Amino acid sequence: MSDAVDVNSTDSWPDDADDVAEGYLANWFVREGSAVDEGETLCEIQVEKVSIDVAAPATGAVTEILVAEGGDFDRGDVLARVQPSA
Amino acid sequence: MVSVTDLQTMYEQMVTARHYEERLVDEYLVGKQPAFDISAGPIPGELHLAAGHEASGAGVCMHLRDDDTVTAPHRPHHIAIAKGVDLKRMTAEIFGRKTGLCRGKGGHMHLFDPDVNFACSGIIAQGCPPAVGAAMAAKKRNTDSVAVAFLGEGAIDQGGFLESLNLAAVHDLPVVFVVEDNDWAISMPKDRVTDVQNGAQRAAGFDLPGVRIDSDDATAVYEAAGEAVMRARDGNGPTLIEVQVHRRMGHFMGDAEAYRPEADIDRAKQRDSIERLAEDLRSHGVTDDELDEIRERAHERVEEAISWAKEQPEPDPEEAYENVFTNPPAQAATDGGSAADASGDADETGGDN
Amino acid sequence: MATESRDYTEATETDRELTMSRAMVEAIAWEMRENEEVFYMGEDVADYGGIFSSTTGLLDEFGRDRVMDVPISETAYLGAAVGAAQAGMRPIAELMFVDFFGVAMDQIYNNMAKNTYMSGGSFSVPMVLTTAVGGTYNDAGQHSQTLYGTFAHLPGMKVVVPSTAYDAKGLMHSAIRDDDPVVYMFHKRLMGLGWMPSPSGPKTGVPKDDYTIPFGEADVKRPGDDVTVVTLGLHVHRAMEAAEQLDDDGIDAEVIDLRTLVPLDTETVLDSVRKTGKLLVVDEDYQSFGVTGEIIARAAEGALDDLSAVKRLAIPDVPIPYARSLEDEVNPGTDDIAAAVRELHE
Repeated sequence: MSDAVDVNSTDSWPDDADDVAEGYLANWFVREGSAVDEGETLCEIQVEKVSIDVAAPATGAVTEILVAEGGDFDRGDVLARVQPSA
Repeated sequence: MVSVTDLQTMYEQMVTARHYEERLVDEYLVGKQPAFDISAGPIPGELHLAAGHEASGAGVCMHLRDDDTVTAPHRPHHIAIAKGVDLKRMTAEIFGRKTGLCRGKGGHMHLFDPDVNFACSGIIAQGCPPAVGAAMAAKKRNTDSVAVAFLGEGAIDQGGFLESLNLAAVHDLPVVFVVEDNDWAISMPKDRVTDVQNGAQRAAGFDLPGVRIDSDDATAVYEAAGEAVMRARDGNGPTLIEVQVHRRMGHFMGDAEAYRPEADIDRAKQRDSIERLAEDLRSHGVTDDELDEIRERAHERVEEAISWAKEQPEPDPEEAYENVFTNPPAQAATDGGSAADASGDADETGGDN
Repeated sequence: MATESRDYTEATETDRELTMSRAMVEAIAWEMRENEEVFYMGEDVADYGGIFSSTTGLLDEFGRDRVMDVPISETAYLGAAVGAAQAGMRPIAELMFVDFFGVAMDQIYNNMAKNTYMSGGSFSVPMVLTTAVGGTYNDAGQHSQTLYGTFAHLPGMKVVVPSTAYDAKGLMHSAIRDDDPVVYMFHKRLMGLGWMPSPSGPKTGVPKDDYTIPFGEADVKRPGDDVTVVTLGLHVHRAMEAAEQLDDDGIDAEVIDLRTLVPLDTETVLDSVRKTGKLLVVDEDYQSFGVTGEIIARAAEGALDDLSAVKRLAIPDVPIPYARSLEDEVNPGTDDIAAAVRELHE
């Protein structure tokens, strides 16, 4: 079994918000245990009032959700982990 | 240049429309004399007659096909006739009969005929936005159909008209706006409601062409409308046309026109677009016998429509509950507590969502 | 008639949850892919994606001809939707806030709603009028109304009020496919916007495939024996929260989400009232001459002998005020609902 893949907030950070350090987790569309396809939207984050959809990095199952809906996080924080299916 | 055949066709439509209004006067007054009761007689309710407006309907609609849309205002008969609306069913509607165009639910200022894409709104200027929408549909579907919105000069201050000019202009939609200027908005003369005496000037504010035709000359209307309709069909956007017409029969039947100077009424009656077109036809070599023949044919058609309409049954009272929806709810959900209405509604289209 | 809804089973079968706005957009996009006659127009619906995210992403997929920004000119473009619908297209036209209906009501109630009837059925007007409704975010009297009753009162329009993502998608599919004008009223607070957090209820599982929810089928969100609570929109969630509180005190409330006002599922309301004998109607519209009065009248007409008590909670006939303390006072809250149910139960 391969390792779980991090969903890192940096990967979804908008290009024009390099100087911003904090984000807000507006909506989760999956729960722990949900099956997801690569590219499917996992959650919606907000950086500087701009909404960004965060895509699943792999097809598999969401094993961990690390930032709760309605919570703040720092750039570079891992939002969730996805265990790729075999 | 307009052909003699086209002029003859317009003449026939115009004399049909004129005779139609004259005959409706007779029918309308049945049961309303000596005491005028608006709800009495075979044609109840308001009746806005278009005698004196004929040149506009005929001159514009000569350029239209069945797939072109026309929206008309509360004074629609001459336009409906020129657009080819079924005259018998239109007359049955005016008489409030079951086989009328709208099954007796619309009446004379709400005539709808999908076969020739004809619709009305009795609210001033409010037929303009749906005409813009029909033009929008034509453009999206890449057809060369056009839409024409008719309105009176009393409507040119209304938001629905001005908003429609703007929306049609910004999207280059194939629509022609035709203002029939009969000088009077019920009792309000034009100079007391707007400083713009030439309504076609409204077009400049929206960067579209505006054309004013100062006399109710059917040939001039034909020519201006031909250019506007071609411009629309070719994808070059909307045009506004204002046509001077005359109101020969008051705002509606029963209007004593006490507010209107006698001289103005006389002038309206002297300036007769039909007589003018007859002159034109004579100058093209059409004989009086030929003109008589056209008039006779038109009169017969009107008489036939009126006799047919009067023989038609009245709607069954239960039909009042039908046609609220095309796809009526399966149950008596909107009946306000009365069980009666669902029955008629539900069977018509099966009622499935 | 739906009593126990199958929706929940289907909804929980999917791993994916959506906000109401995303569910709405998914249905619109699906219908636009299937049917070229469907298009969307409104103010700020293209590049912006809808002020309340009712059209997010549609411009990218469908382009400007099918996702049209229009001038701030509601009479013109709502009327144009009527004309396009009469020509056989299936326009969706958005009125940004329902409160703006006043500048275009003639097109809505004289043309959109009546042309089918006044043409004796020879014309149909298959359009959807989408509009944002509701308060709770301090936007004051011209941007906070629901006006449910105003639209439901006038004949000729079907009126739809989703309260969950699952319902939002299914009702939108039904609305676009319907041959009649449908007023689709989405509550801003339920859309799942990052900048206007929703309560927890409206985000639900949403199947990826298309599905329809028939109009005229209320949803019993929570079965109960003691008191019937009939409501819609945002207040479905407030009523559910109140029902949980009441459950702790041994009061078993049945919560009914009407989902559509026209057609109205009177039977589900009557069945419930026959069981509980007590009826509370909760609405975010003005109290007098509106939804609450209508539901109580139907209950009285259909089940008078079973009714022992009725109450209603609605905006108490004042314009909706701005300040938090004032708006909270007039908009029925969870505690108000719980208190009203307790009074009925006594």
